[in-house]
Amino acid sequence: MNINILNTTLGVCLVGLLALSACEEAAIPVGVDNTPITLDTISFPVVKAIAYQSPPEMGKTEYLYFGKQDGFDFQYNLIKFDSTSVTANTPFSYFNDSLVVVDSLRLSLRFDKDSITSDAEFQLRYFPSGGDSVFNELESNYLNFNQAIASEIISTAQMEADSIDTNKTEVYLNFTLDSSIVNAFRDTSVLEYNRSFLVELANESSESFYFHSTDIQAGIKPELTVFYRQFLSDTVVLDTTSRSYLAVADISIITPAPISFEDSTTLSVSIAKGLKSIVFVDMGDWTLPSKSIVSSAQIIFNRVESDSIAQFKVISHPMTSEGVYERFTSFMDDPYDEDLNFFVSTALIDNVLKINHRKAATEIGHKNFTNFGFKLQSSFNNDPFTTVQFYGINNTDYYPVMRVIYVLP
Amino acid sequence: MFFRNRTIISLLLLGVLNAQSVFNAYGLGLSKSTHHTASAGAGSIGLVPTFHPGVSFDNPATWPGLQFTYVSGSYSNRSIEIGSQESSNYGNGFDKIQFVIPIQNRFAIGLSLKPVNDNNAYFKTDSTRMSFHGRDLTFNKEFRSGGGILAGSFGFAIPMNDRMGLGLSFDKLFGSSRDEESLILNSVHYRLFNIKTYSGSVFNINFAGKFYDAKNVMVTGYARISMTREPVSGTQYQFDLFEDINDNYSFDTDDYPATIDVDTIKVSNIYAPSSFSFGLNAGFNNDLNIFGEFQLWNDQATNGKYTSIYKDQIGSKSHVGGGLVKFGKMGARSWQDRITMRFGIFKESYLLKNSGRKINENGITVGFGFKFAATGNQLDVAYRTGARFMTNDYKESIQEFTIGLSLGDIWFLRRRAK
Repeated sequence: MNINILNTTLGVCLVGLLALSACEEAAIPVGVDNTPITLDTISFPVVKAIAYQSPPEMGKTEYLYFGKQDGFDFQYNLIKFDSTSVTANTPFSYFNDSLVVVDSLRLSLRFDKDSITSDAEFQLRYFPSGGDSVFNELESNYLNFNQAIASEIISTAQMEADSIDTNKTEVYLNFTLDSSIVNAFRDTSVLEYNRSFLVELANESSESFYFHSTDIQAGIKPELTVFYRQFLSDTVVLDTTSRSYLAVADISIITPAPISFEDSTTLSVSIAKGLKSIVFVDMGDWTLPSKSIVSSAQIIFNRVESDSIAQFKVISHPMTSEGVYERFTSFMDDPYDEDLNFFVSTALIDNVLKINHRKAATEIGHKNFTNFGFKLQSSFNNDPFTTVQFYGINNTDYYPVMRVIYVLP
Repeated sequence: MFFRNRTIISLLLLGVLNAQSVFNAYGLGLSKSTHHTASAGAGSIGLVPTFHPGVSFDNPATWPGLQFTYVSGSYSNRSIEIGSQESSNYGNGFDKIQFVIPIQNRFAIGLSLKPVNDNNAYFKTDSTRMSFHGRDLTFNKEFRSGGGILAGSFGFAIPMNDRMGLGLSFDKLFGSSRDEESLILNSVHYRLFNIKTYSGSVFNINFAGKFYDAKNVMVTGYARISMTREPVSGTQYQFDLFEDINDNYSFDTDDYPATIDVDTIKVSNIYAPSSFSFGLNAGFNNDLNIFGEFQLWNDQATNGKYTSIYKDQIGSKSHVGGGLVKFGKMGARSWQDRITMRFGIFKESYLLKNSGRKINENGITVGFGFKFAATGNQLDVAYRTGARFMTNDYKESIQEFTIGLSLGDIWFLRRRAK
């Protein structure tokens, strides 16, 4: 065998194979008729809609509010701290050790401004008899929370400036607490003792004060610092050190401002006023074809006001029970539970709100979920004092409607 | 030697994508008529000798005529231009990998792997615009399919007498294909996938015989009967429609809905090919051969559930072809004399089962084979040009370039005692 001829031939083959390895595919045009997979649309009218009021849910706001503002009365704030420290994960039970001596505690709140504008005095209470759960961030409000379970005043404080550097100053409200407080916290019989405090203005004020809450995106959360010393022996003691515990839940307990005529006659939403709205979309006995995908099922609302507004989002869920649409009502508790699996948060764009409830529409269309209507409420990320009103079903031009677009296999 | 060439064999396996065709979207697609490069060069369906005098790699009855054991591979690159489209489709893939051992010039056994049909197609509709209460909706559809059925074949040849031989082969049909239907609404893809698997078997009886042998001319005849032993059955995995939010062609956690179901559908008797073929070859003493071939092919499947975008499928096919082959001589001094030249012309007609419409295909082929080394190695190339069309419908212009390499070695050689 001539090895040169063989090698040359094999080389040519390999080069040829590599040269041929590319491929290109241009789509062949075909008519759309009689081809599988199709698009369809349907519109459903909103036949019932009403706004209602329930106590404000302020547990997820970015600030803790004190004072008064635009008819709102900020009564007090409740704060609960973590059971373990930020560094070293030190639990409060650590202070049970007889060789550890707590000198003092400090509770700090960060003011949202960098200068002190008032000499207002604040006072602090705690809940020595409150058990393990004093308040609920999502449920506590001015109607269901009993302030009387709090202790006597254990500390008072005024805002004070803290110079970060030569150019920047931060303002804090620092409460100094006696070490006896931690004695309650470290009670050996109740290691998970509540770590909740009540903060309020010492005197009524017409001003309003905002402090960073635990839900703030960029800020300094409320913090409880424990200063202590540790004895290594009867005669040797380490320098004072500290552990910091961050807030894990907090809420402003407020009394809402009065409801306006527009609030009650439009589909309005507001956190601080406790305004929410419900709508019922008449989907009849509509059945979504099997295996279909809902591309969008938008319930479209038009804002009453025509001015521009900072980014505003509306949260919506399908309800799990029938709504009452006869008249605007103020409830002691929100009577309408929602299915949290179908949570939708939608931004208001050009004063039009298009809530895409395609998951819920799919389940309703497949008869897996009963259509009780949909609930609208302001997102916790919005300014809680902003009220947005949408046209209801009586407006001839801007009535709400649901538009569904779906794809069928 | 065979192990030395594993690299080449691996490269042959690299590409399995043939150029798409409109007509691949009918049922399981078009069945391939030609597999080996030598046959492709002559436009042959593989009955008559095209590789070596008296030998066609595609006809087991002729394998005893081989002087060496061969490993052979064929790889093709195809260009299809559809209608008046400015762009062409290109695709490539292996046509056949084969291993044949002749035994004492009387018997032979062989193994091969070859694609049986081609399901590769890609369609797109024009965009449709509509307004839905002030919201503009623009959508179009795309349909893709690929894959198909492969045949793993075992064959052997036995002599009937000194003038006739018989070749029997068993083809195990297997493979899978995937098709995708998608609707693109305002740039968002809604996709639906089907994955199909195939399993079945076919056996073939091949015949080769010497009919007339004079001083200047020898007439040989060839025939093949193919019958379905086990009609192809399969499983279709039908994935639910989903919104491919990240447009990555597959369902994942970013897509909508969060989960999709897969329906598993068992389907039987979807492909049952049978055929009868015969050919005649006249070989002259100057190594020139003239041949003619005819084939009738029929799919007797009773179940048409594996349909694609076109709710129709290939029901039958006929092939008529002829050509010239001038074989090269392995031991010739001049390299020109070692070249085998092939020329062929053919016409095929496919008939669709449901509509009765006919797909016509014709082609002209030319090929060359170059022998090298003492063990009968041969490098074959083939070029084919032709057209495929349906009356008052699509027309495709086809060009195909095929390259094949056959490496010979000596097995079952009685060694001299040292």
